[in-house]
Amino acid sequence: MKTNWLLSAALAATALTFVGSPAAAATKFEFWYGLSGDLSERIQEMCKTFNESQPDYEIVCVSQDNYDNNLQNTIAAFRANKQPTITQIFDAGTLDLMLSDAFIPVGQLMADNGFQIDWTNYFSGIASYYSTSKGELLSMPFNSSTAVIYYNTDALAKVGFEGTPTTWTQVEDVARKMKAAGYDCPVAFDPAGAWQWFEQFSAIHNQPIATKGNGFGGLDAELVVSKGKFVDQLAWIKKMYDEGLFIHKSKDAGETANDAFVNGKCQITSSSIADHGTFSKQAKDGVHWTVAMLPMLEGFERTNSLVGGASLWTLKGKSAEEYKGAAAFYNFLAEPAQAEWWSTVTGYIPVTNTGFEAMKAKGFYDAAPYKGRELAIASLTMPAGENTRGIRLGGYPSIRAEMVKTIQSVLFNNVPAQQALEEFDAKGNEVLRRFEATYAGKSLL
Amino acid sequence: MERRAYYKNPMLPWLLLAPQLLLVLVFFYWPTSQALYWAFTLEQPWGGGNSWVWFDNFISIFRDREYWGTVLRSGLYAMVTTGLSMAIALTLAAFVDRSLKGTKFFQSIFVWPYAIAAPAAGVAFRFIFAPESGLIGSINQVWPGIWDPATNGWHALAMVIVCHAWLGIGYNFIFFLAALQMIPRSISEAGAMDGARPFRRMLDLQLPLIAPTAFFLLIMNIISSFTDSFGLIDTMTEGGPIGQTEVMVYKIYFDGFKGLDYSGAAAQSIILMLLVIGLTFVQFKWVERRVHYN
Amino acid sequence: MIERSPVFDFLTYLAMAIGAFLVVIPFWITLVAGSQSLQEVSQVPISLMPSSHLWENLSAAWARADLGPKMLNSLIVAVGVTVGKITLASLSAFAIVFFNFRGRMISFWLIFITLMLPLEVRIVPTYAIAANALLPFQVILDTLGISWLVNAVSGIQVTLNWNLLNSYTGLILPLVATATGTFLYRQFFMTIPDELVEASKMDGARPIEFFFDVLLPLSRTNMLALATIMFVSSWNQYLWPLLITTDRANFGTVVMQLKALIPAQNGTPDWNVTMAGALIIMLPPLLVVAFMQRWFVRGLISRDK
Repeated sequence: MKTNWLLSAALAATALTFVGSPAAAATKFEFWYGLSGDLSERIQEMCKTFNESQPDYEIVCVSQDNYDNNLQNTIAAFRANKQPTITQIFDAGTLDLMLSDAFIPVGQLMADNGFQIDWTNYFSGIASYYSTSKGELLSMPFNSSTAVIYYNTDALAKVGFEGTPTTWTQVEDVARKMKAAGYDCPVAFDPAGAWQWFEQFSAIHNQPIATKGNGFGGLDAELVVSKGKFVDQLAWIKKMYDEGLFIHKSKDAGETANDAFVNGKCQITSSSIADHGTFSKQAKDGVHWTVAMLPMLEGFERTNSLVGGASLWTLKGKSAEEYKGAAAFYNFLAEPAQAEWWSTVTGYIPVTNTGFEAMKAKGFYDAAPYKGRELAIASLTMPAGENTRGIRLGGYPSIRAEMVKTIQSVLFNNVPAQQALEEFDAKGNEVLRRFEATYAGKSLL
Repeated sequence: MERRAYYKNPMLPWLLLAPQLLLVLVFFYWPTSQALYWAFTLEQPWGGGNSWVWFDNFISIFRDREYWGTVLRSGLYAMVTTGLSMAIALTLAAFVDRSLKGTKFFQSIFVWPYAIAAPAAGVAFRFIFAPESGLIGSINQVWPGIWDPATNGWHALAMVIVCHAWLGIGYNFIFFLAALQMIPRSISEAGAMDGARPFRRMLDLQLPLIAPTAFFLLIMNIISSFTDSFGLIDTMTEGGPIGQTEVMVYKIYFDGFKGLDYSGAAAQSIILMLLVIGLTFVQFKWVERRVHYN
Repeated sequence: MIERSPVFDFLTYLAMAIGAFLVVIPFWITLVAGSQSLQEVSQVPISLMPSSHLWENLSAAWARADLGPKMLNSLIVAVGVTVGKITLASLSAFAIVFFNFRGRMISFWLIFITLMLPLEVRIVPTYAIAANALLPFQVILDTLGISWLVNAVSGIQVTLNWNLLNSYTGLILPLVATATGTFLYRQFFMTIPDELVEASKMDGARPIEFFFDVLLPLSRTNMLALATIMFVSSWNQYLWPLLITTDRANFGTVVMQLKALIPAQNGTPDWNVTMAGALIIMLPPLLVVAFMQRWFVRGLISRDK
């Protein structure tokens, strides 16, 4: 790595246009991503496969540890004109990028570089999350998941429950019986999992998080959580917590909810379908488990859950050659063999209809350890409601952080759910108004 | 603080000062002026432009109840860590200053915490205080739930403060010891002959003489409560639970770099800077009048 | 010493022992936990005796946090800051203390204020300059019309660009810019008796000669003390490297790696490896302080020698 020691008073003659000399070597371009550990190794593997599959481009894949960090570092680099060609941005950061004018829409990129991709083949729930309201796809769908609930089957059997609970009432009932049967921790609960406990809950019950279809209708949307069903749900969670049926498990408490589940200490946990693979690998001997769609409140029709995960954005300011490389990389990702490999080694779902059908036809989902992953697709493809398109709110990472605090304050500080959520709405609206003002004059694409 | 003897030269001092002034300009005054600009605008995180909003950023900060919470917390944090750390260090230094046999051994140990990076200490203390682990957490076996920094904000804050105070012991100790040892023996001996007890002597004779050091340390400790606290909080609690370990610096970092609200963070920076400058200025004026460096 | 009552002596030892206990216990626990196996470290209550797994934990931590290159980076930054700061600080303190010139107090305050505002406090402002540290000069050139002039005369466009992201310069220079050293040197220089300056002047020594022949030799112990302070504080930097380094693999420092060592999501709570890593990261500055201690303390007790 060269250091930028020089006071480079770069002198560029205006009359002369600098023509890049035709490179003999492969064009290098960078891809930053926000995954670490096992998933990071998978991405490195994927990059290697791509590099070996063709001689023209070399992708350099750099882990930035987590989504937050990657977003922050990408912005820093972009402002310093040192950005990577491709960056992986998580669901909550979508709108911030959309309005930024810092990227090249993936549809345009592929078309410009002569690649034909059938965008209609992508699951509509996934495509719409990353598209403009006119349906133009802006970023390349990549690692996609949704929330599900995991049960310890032995514990269910012990309390005599057949199958898996489908309503929260049943979950409460089961948890109570588990407690009576001597399980210390029926349900593992981490307030940081606002994504599944709050966002996905709202989606499958078609409850608005914000007006205007969660912000899809304009930047002036307002949070309305304190007026919806989540108030009761949060109060219910508090009740369960106080009765010792929901147990606080988090990084701060020393053991994450997922760890507590795979170690057999907690019997129920809600998490991403992407953890399906990890659970298979990590579950302790003697811990048997299964997966199900998130439970519902009684009397509600299930609507589709939201796609989570991240997508790939192509940033402006790079050379045509690098964009060709990026397009080739996306094309590589869209190949059925590659997509299937990715969904197999991780728990992420296939993002296209044909991909999913092909895997289903092969019998991928019929047996362990992959059985159950198809539920995520089923959950994502439930009938849509007006509040299930996604969440298109500015500054959403900090709103999500505020929700975590809100849940904590209800659980740990006994703030009434109604009051806590009213404060949440007020604070979140402040963030939304600031965002709106920051992008004054811009409107949703 | 004026010297009688000095050099006069029109160019040389400026040449000597140039590198430092240049760096200070580039890395301090220029960026600060930029931040001042940001504080009055709404800056788009991706650098797409900004719009002038006058005092809106400041108004929304001052209206934010949570922000005032952070300010109070920072004050409390600074006071308790500084007080705790300086008191322990001064006590130890006073005893070491008696120079009994074997003191050197203790003296070298007392300096150790100074060498430790705040995040490293944070990691170690986090383990020590972890409710589920076998140290402080053991008391939860006796009284379940009595210690839980993961859900109780006060516990978490206390944990960070104790760690911070511990970190400061080494630095404060060195300076106090140095100051105490600079006091001419004759003064202490005269005091002893007058029959003053050790504690009284400390109060009446030594304390006033080490006032310049104490003043210097006070400033350094308050500054450290702004700087080192970041590394501690980031490794120990990340500001939680419920944001109850968020101090001003952490909030600036969080709002700016995680929340992508550069303008709000810039405004908070400006407020914090003014606060610190004001505090120092008052102290400096007030103390330097009665403290003699020579 | 003045009193020699056995009771008071006992009290002294007691207090020092308690103090030593308070200071040492975190180190001890770090060492103990770092030497235990996963099973031992997860026990409640934990055993306070070291076990035999220190070496394997150390190597596990070394590999997990990629400490080899990170150590080198930390070393480069720490040494760079130390050398840079001692040089700058002694020069500027010399100018401020021993010269009488217009703007002396202004310069002092310009520098002194930065002491009160460490990097963490002005992190957002400083970050603004990370992309291009020469922006101030560009703006000056542009506003003065110089760039336009150059462009008109020679057809050359002046673009000053100095990116600090992912560079040792970016890691080092902002830390050198702060005033800790200047302040310490000033405090020391002020204790130099006027007679010394007068004598030197009488000998016909020029200021620079006075600086090199009289001041520097006198301030050797102070310099060592300052070097220790600077080395430790720059080794221990956390927030700035975190922000200025997007390319962690190549420019990360060890202290940044601490968080990566904490047992995170989807992992086992292997605190033993975490603590072993913390041990490695703590060690270099601890050694420096232990080794330099003699000069360090003496450097601060300058007057009574």
